[in-house]
Amino acid sequence: MTAVAAPNPLAEGLHDYRVGEPCIMVIFGATGDLSGRKLLPALYNLAKQRLLPAGFAVVGAAIDDLTDDAFRKHASEKIAEFSRTQPIDQRVLDAFLSGCFYNKVDFGKLDDFKALQRRLGELDTTRHVSGNRMFYCATPPPTYETIVEQLKAAGMATGTGFHRIVVEKPFGSDLKSARELTEILQRVFHEDSVYRIDHYLGKETVQNIMAFRFANAIFEPVWNSNFIDSVQITVAEEIGVEGRGAYYDKAGALRDIVQNHALQLVALVAMEPPLAFEANAVRDEKVKVLRAIRSITDEQVARATVRGQYAKGWVLGQQVGAYRDEQHVAQGSLTETFAVLRLEIDNWRWANVPFYIRAGKRMPKRVTEIRIQFKRPPHMTFGPEATQELDPNAITLRIQPEEGISLRFGAKVPSAGLRIRSVTMDFQYMTAFLVETPEAYERLLLDCMIGDPTLFTRADEVEAAWRLIDPIEAAWRDDRPPLATYPSGTWGPPAADKLLQQDGREWHRP
Amino acid sequence: MAPAVSTLIKPEAGAEWSGEGVSMNEVLAALKDIRTKFALAETQETELPHPRNCIMTLIAVASSDQEERRAQRAVRAIGNHHPAQVIVVRDQPGPRTGKMDATITTDIMRPQSSCAMQCEVITLRVQGSMGDHLSGLIDPLLQSGVPNYLWWVGTPAFGKKELDDTLKICDALLVDSARFDAPYRSFLDLTKLATHSHQRLGVADLAWARLEPWRENVAQFFSPADRQPFLKGITDIGVDYSGEGRGNRVAAAQLIGWLSSALGWKLQKAAAGTGGIVVAHFGADGWRPVQVAFRSMPKTHLAQGEISAIRIEGGAGGRTFKLTVMRDPERARTVRPEVGAGGYSPLHNAGGEDDAGLEIAQRKVEWHRDVLDENAEQLHHTATGDLPGENTPQRPAVFVRERRGQDNARVLLTLIEIGEGAPLRHIQQVDPEDEATLLLDLLSHGTQDKVFGRSLAAAAELMAAI
Repeated sequence: MTAVAAPNPLAEGLHDYRVGEPCIMVIFGATGDLSGRKLLPALYNLAKQRLLPAGFAVVGAAIDDLTDDAFRKHASEKIAEFSRTQPIDQRVLDAFLSGCFYNKVDFGKLDDFKALQRRLGELDTTRHVSGNRMFYCATPPPTYETIVEQLKAAGMATGTGFHRIVVEKPFGSDLKSARELTEILQRVFHEDSVYRIDHYLGKETVQNIMAFRFANAIFEPVWNSNFIDSVQITVAEEIGVEGRGAYYDKAGALRDIVQNHALQLVALVAMEPPLAFEANAVRDEKVKVLRAIRSITDEQVARATVRGQYAKGWVLGQQVGAYRDEQHVAQGSLTETFAVLRLEIDNWRWANVPFYIRAGKRMPKRVTEIRIQFKRPPHMTFGPEATQELDPNAITLRIQPEEGISLRFGAKVPSAGLRIRSVTMDFQYMTAFLVETPEAYERLLLDCMIGDPTLFTRADEVEAAWRLIDPIEAAWRDDRPPLATYPSGTWGPPAADKLLQQDGREWHRP
Repeated sequence: MAPAVSTLIKPEAGAEWSGEGVSMNEVLAALKDIRTKFALAETQETELPHPRNCIMTLIAVASSDQEERRAQRAVRAIGNHHPAQVIVVRDQPGPRTGKMDATITTDIMRPQSSCAMQCEVITLRVQGSMGDHLSGLIDPLLQSGVPNYLWWVGTPAFGKKELDDTLKICDALLVDSARFDAPYRSFLDLTKLATHSHQRLGVADLAWARLEPWRENVAQFFSPADRQPFLKGITDIGVDYSGEGRGNRVAAAQLIGWLSSALGWKLQKAAAGTGGIVVAHFGADGWRPVQVAFRSMPKTHLAQGEISAIRIEGGAGGRTFKLTVMRDPERARTVRPEVGAGGYSPLHNAGGEDDAGLEIAQRKVEWHRDVLDENAEQLHHTATGDLPGENTPQRPAVFVRERRGQDNARVLLTLIEIGEGAPLRHIQQVDPEDEATLLLDLLSHGTQDKVFGRSLAAAAELMAAI
């Protein structure tokens, strides 16, 4: 049983004081890419910000036969290469590495897990850790079941202290496999101890969508179908599949981006105000939105979706090849690298407000943004001539790369006559706040240590998203609508524009 | 928390203006001219000038060349991160009245994909009675709708009209109590001002921001559920600080003021002890009496008044604990490795005074210790005649000699001892002392800090008693 800590009176008033209890973080796949690029650098940066508690330890667990020192050397090299803060503070690094250990673990061997358990027990004593564990599966999803079963068999998932498991997306490849994964995890861990990490939710600007909506009184009254005409969500990347061809060719844009990142953004924009910024309250509201999204039926799929695949072209001044020429991609692949969905949310707030999602690779630039397009005033007082340069009001929430918010509204052009044109009022995160935003993994690892799952995806959220995606995926596999191609460096095939034109709208150019 | 390292947009030097013996109207006209030119220069063919993106006005009041240099350095650094308007007022006594020397400098920041921004630094050098009417100079320069922070770089003119009037047009006063002249008296004045000023006024102290790593480490120790009972079991606290005299105890008093006000302790009495140690006694219903010892410890690398260590000891639920947090921790200076209770270091030659020799000797000592440790029960039986397991022999301790780095003053070493277990060492780095960073830290977290307010009051009570 985990003892429940009362509020610490000494923590009051400490800015951003979010330090968990001392725990041991076991990284399965510690010598792999994710661990080296993201986890170890994120932990180092937490140490640098003094956010790791005294006694915190990392135990690397992987198939490689390494000593503690060899693992520390590996960690040191990866941190030097991938840390967001440079140069490396050697003293912080040394102190962090002194809490890093390694055990060779063959996931198929129970004895290796038992040896790992003994090691953790020793560290509990020497580092004053009361049995608290965080198991991070930085491994491919097919290994999750074996790891979880071995943790159970070795008695590592129970005992004093907390026992949390972190798994990376994708959470299944359809509704059926997502449910299977949940069942595997819940055989050993309670849902409250399962942390499904989607690093997108750790981004400050994604979290800020909630702050923007629910901490300000002026936006919420207009945040509904009475005032909002439509919502456009763009998740564009300029890169191709970058060596991930084998995975991507099976997944495609719909599963890789839309099912998780884009639908999370829809949920955050459309959710009702939660009672509190607390894990279940927030996630309950997100699930309600996902469930309220009208399923795209077999008949509607051709009219409400577009799929595309990039052909060769020019991106950022460089000539790039076609998707089918990428490594590990099937020659005649029909996998989409671009997806557009037109969604409708069947609830009081959003009736008849279309949500357009556009996600793709090899777009002209990397940009993620949400554009809330408002309706025009019911009566144009100034007449058509004065307002011909006036666009409808819009709020743009920019997620990356230049995080910020802008509001577009009309203003009179200074002159003797009366002419109104659109101007933009811009807020930029980078300049308005006096500290830099942390990397998403730093935030999420810290949340997991503290035991705050608000920014992690719950099982029912994952399932609700797959329930929406599965029928679209099925129709697309049936070549409906047909796969279109688009030159790299453009905003997708012409069908993407036509989809909005049929509604009398057009895409905002980010 | 330590502020994250920031990516900086490299500023470009913008327009400049200066004038000697000028009036305020001339300064305002020059400023308007600079803003108009900037807006037009940045306007693209089809666009109107961008609205100003200014998030605060920072007013720094300096009374000497050195203070002015510090203010200029810090405010420029802040301005390069954030589009602020900065006013530096150099208040100097002199015969001239009604005129001043002024300069305006600007830095332009161009983020990759948005409009350019301009940070303005307006420096006013005023003499004579004009300095008594600072608010009249500053008010016309203030931007509407953004907060105004008054940073009094030296010791504020407590109780004087020039400070009181200026505070009326500002949202917060920023000071550094560690740099006050007559620190004891000024600290009490600051407390009075913070207690009696209008509610909207925030008061922030850079010295308080410096205490954050100490507060974090102490709070962190008591956070785990199984350690929370230790809070009521605290019996002894020791605080070491650099420098002598009561004025140098301000930071130590603030730290203890924070602890006592957070935990509801009431000051019972305070008295000078032996060896220059000052002792304060606290008590509260349901708590054990707590004794706090303030000790002056010379530290070469620390400024006068800086805290060098805090030790918190006690016991609860049958377990004893000791938390020690040390800044710039002292290391063993002896050539040979020191070995604790076993005292068997003389058995091992240090092998030379260089690092390698010391390391070899250290390893031998550790090996010797481990052998003794593994056979401790048998050896104990041989030595005492007690049956194995009847009395548990004490583990010999080994003190490792560490190499002292040049920047050791930034090291914060935490030692945690719970029960009989070996101490857990936790090493952290505090950020290099930098006024701009501390100011940013205070500004980014707001200046309405009720914990600071109540700690300040408790510290003042303590200071008055000791």
